[in-house]
Amino acid sequence: MAILSLIDVKKSFGITEIIRGVSLDIVEGEKHAIIGPNGAGKSTLFHLISGRYNVSAGSIHFKEQQIENKPPYEIARMGLARSFQVTNIFQRMSVFENIRCALFWSKGYGYSFWHLLGKQTELNDEAMHVLEQIGLADRAKFPSGELAYAELRALELGVAIASGSELIMLDEPVAGMSHSEAQNAVELIRKITEGKTLIMVEHDMNIVFDVADRISVLVYGEIIATDEPKNIRANSKVQEAYLGEVPSA
Amino acid sequence: MALLKKSSIWIAFLVALLGLPLLFDSILAISILNQMAIGIVFALSYNMLLGQGGMLSFGHAVYFGLGGFLSVHALMLIEYETMVFSILWIPLIGGLFGLLAGIFIGSFSTRKAGTVFAMISLGIGELIAASSLIFSSFFGGEAGISGDRTFGPTFFGFDFAQNIEIYYVAAVWAFIATLFTWLFTQTPAGRMANAVRDNPERAEFIGYSSRKVRFISFCASGMFAGIAGGLFALNYEFITEENLNAATSGRVLLMAYIGGLGYFIGPIIGAVVLTLMNSLLSNYSELWMLYLGIMFLLTVMFLPRGFAGFIMMHQVAWVRGNMKMLIKPYIITGIPALLFTACAIVLIEMSHTDDEVFHYLGLALNPASPITWIVILAIAGGAFYATKRSLIQLNDAWETANAIPKEEEA
Ligand SMILES: Nc1ncnc2c1ncn2[C@@H]1O[C@H](COP(=O)(O)OP(=O)(O)OP(=O)(O)O)[C@@H](O)[C@H]1O
Ligand SMILES: [Mg+2]
Repeated sequence: MAILSLIDVKKSFGITEIIRGVSLDIVEGEKHAIIGPNGAGKSTLFHLISGRYNVSAGSIHFKEQQIENKPPYEIARMGLARSFQVTNIFQRMSVFENIRCALFWSKGYGYSFWHLLGKQTELNDEAMHVLEQIGLADRAKFPSGELAYAELRALELGVAIASGSELIMLDEPVAGMSHSEAQNAVELIRKITEGKTLIMVEHDMNIVFDVADRISVLVYGEIIATDEPKNIRANSKVQEAYLGEVPSA
Repeated sequence: MALLKKSSIWIAFLVALLGLPLLFDSILAISILNQMAIGIVFALSYNMLLGQGGMLSFGHAVYFGLGGFLSVHALMLIEYETMVFSILWIPLIGGLFGLLAGIFIGSFSTRKAGTVFAMISLGIGELIAASSLIFSSFFGGEAGISGDRTFGPTFFGFDFAQNIEIYYVAAVWAFIATLFTWLFTQTPAGRMANAVRDNPERAEFIGYSSRKVRFISFCASGMFAGIAGGLFALNYEFITEENLNAATSGRVLLMAYIGGLGYFIGPIIGAVVLTLMNSLLSNYSELWMLYLGIMFLLTVMFLPRGFAGFIMMHQVAWVRGNMKMLIKPYIITGIPALLFTACAIVLIEMSHTDDEVFHYLGLALNPASPITWIVILAIAGGAFYATKRSLIQLNDAWETANAIPKEEEA
C-alpha cells in the first residue's frame, strides 16, 4: 500500500519548470532512494512533499490525505519528518535542547506554557536516548552552533528522527562525511528507520545500493525509472543519463 | 540539592529587593528603587520578545503605556467608589490590559519576524501615541491623566500614601513577574520561542507554526509590560502620552540591550544600570542623554553581549581559578582608561558651559583659556596611548587565564 503518492507533480520557479510532472508511489515500510545528477530537482521534490514549497500543479497524498500546499507543520504532525541537505538546526540552543524541541509535538506538549521542562522526566530521558543513538550524548550541553561538521550532520539527522515519525525523508544525510563517519551514519539510519518508511536522496551509489529497496532516478525534473537496485543498474536509460556516475561494481 | 541551589538564588533576589530600602532610605533612593522595580519588569518583558523570541520591537511602550492608562483609570474607579478593591491588584489590571492589547496587535504583527515585525511595531507605536493625543477623554491629551492611590481599602493599616509603601508593593510584583518570566523560559512554549528565534523555518518541520509560537511570546510579553505600566501608575499616580511613545520604547530596548539580550539576568542588570544613570547622572550633568548614547554605542561595538555577557566571559577564568591573573592587568588598563574618560567628559562639558570657571573633580578650570584645553587634550592623548599599550598586556593575561591547562589538552 502506498503511504505517499505523487500524481503528476509540477513545480516552476518563474518560467523555468524544475519538476516536470513527477508521479511516484512510496510503499509503506520501504527504503526508497532518489538519485540523479546535480540540479535534477531532488531537493525541490523534497520541499514539495514536506510543504516548504507549494506545487504548481499535481497532487500529493500522504496516508490517503491530500497534503500538497499544506503548511509544513501540519504535514509534520501527520508523521512526516525530514532532514535538510544544508544543516538547518537551532544554532544558539544546546544540542540537547535541539533534540528536545523536536520531541515536543509528538509527545503532546503542543504550545504548552504550563509544563515545566525540568519535571518532564520521560521527555528528558527520551531526548537523552536519541542523543545516545546519534552519538552526541557527551555533547548534550554544547551550543549546537559550535559543533564539528560531522557532529552537525548527526544532529541534523537526530532532529529529523527524534519524533519517531512513520515517514522519514533524508536529503543527502552523509554528504561531506568521511568514509567511516558515513558508515556509522548509514548503520544508524538503518537502525532508526527499521519498520518505518524512508526516502533518501544520496549521491554515494554504494550506500544507495546497500540501503535501498527501490530506487527512483530523477533527471532534469522527471523520473526516468523506478525499480529495484539490480534492475536500475541494468537499465540502459539510466546508464545513458547517468554514465560514469554508476559504479560498475 | 539542585532545587535548593536554584531556590536560594530566588530567595537572595527577594531578600535583596526587600532589604535595599533599609540600606538606602533617602527619598531619592526610594524613588530610584521604585523606578528600578518598574524597569526590571519592563525590560524583562522586552527581552521575551527580542532576546528569547527574536522579535525586534520599536513599540513596546504601547503595552506598558496602555497598561498604565488602564491602571490610572482603575485608580479613579476606586477613588469614586465605582468599584472598590485594594490597589495591590492594580498591576494585575495593567497586565490584563497589556495582554489584551498583545492579543489584538499580535494577531497580525507576529506573522513575520525580522524587518517586517520591526516596522509594524514602529507603525503601531506611532499610531497609538498619536491616538492617545486625539482621544483625550480617555488619555487626557498632552497633560495625561492622574489618580490617587490612597483611596482604596487599607492593607493591614497601610494606606500607601508613602513611596516606601509602594516600593514594597512594586518589589513583590517585580519578584512575581521575574519568577514567571523565568518560568516561561522553562516551558515548551518558551523553548520553542528560542527555536523560532534561531530558525523559524526548521521549527515548522518539527510541528510548530512559527507564527503561533511568536504570538504566544508576544502576548506574554505584552502582559508583563502591562504589569510594569501598572506599577508605574501606582508609583507616579499619573501617566501621559510620553509613557507610550517611541522614546519610552527606545529606552526599554536600550535597557535590555546594554544588560545583555542573551541572558535572563541581562535586562535586570540593564534596568538597574540605566535607572541609576538616569537618576544620578541627570543630577550632575545636563548632557546625560549624550553620555547614555555614547555608552550605548560603546556597548554595541565592544560588548555585543551586554554587561551580562561581559560578566559571563569570565566564567572560564573563574572555573580555572585564574581570576587573580586578571586583576592586575585590569587595574593597569583601568587607570588610564578612567583618566581618558574623565578628560573626555571635561572636554565635552567645557565646550557646553557658559561659566567663567568650570569646577571639576575639585579643580577650578578656565574654559576660556587655550592652555586649559591644550593641557587636558595632552593628558587625554597620553591616557589614550597608555590604555592602548596596556591592552596588549591585558590581552596576553586574558589568553593565559583562559588557556587550556596542559593535562587537559592531552
Ligand atoms: N527557490 C528556487 N528558485 C529558483 N530556482 C530554484 C530554486 N530552488 C531550486 N532551484 C533550481 O532548481 C534546480 C534543482 O535544484 P535542487 O536543489 O532541487 O537540485 P538537487 O537535485 O537537489 O541538486 P543537488 O544534487 O545539487 O542537491 C536547480 O537548477 C536550482 O537552481
Ligand atoms: Mg539537493
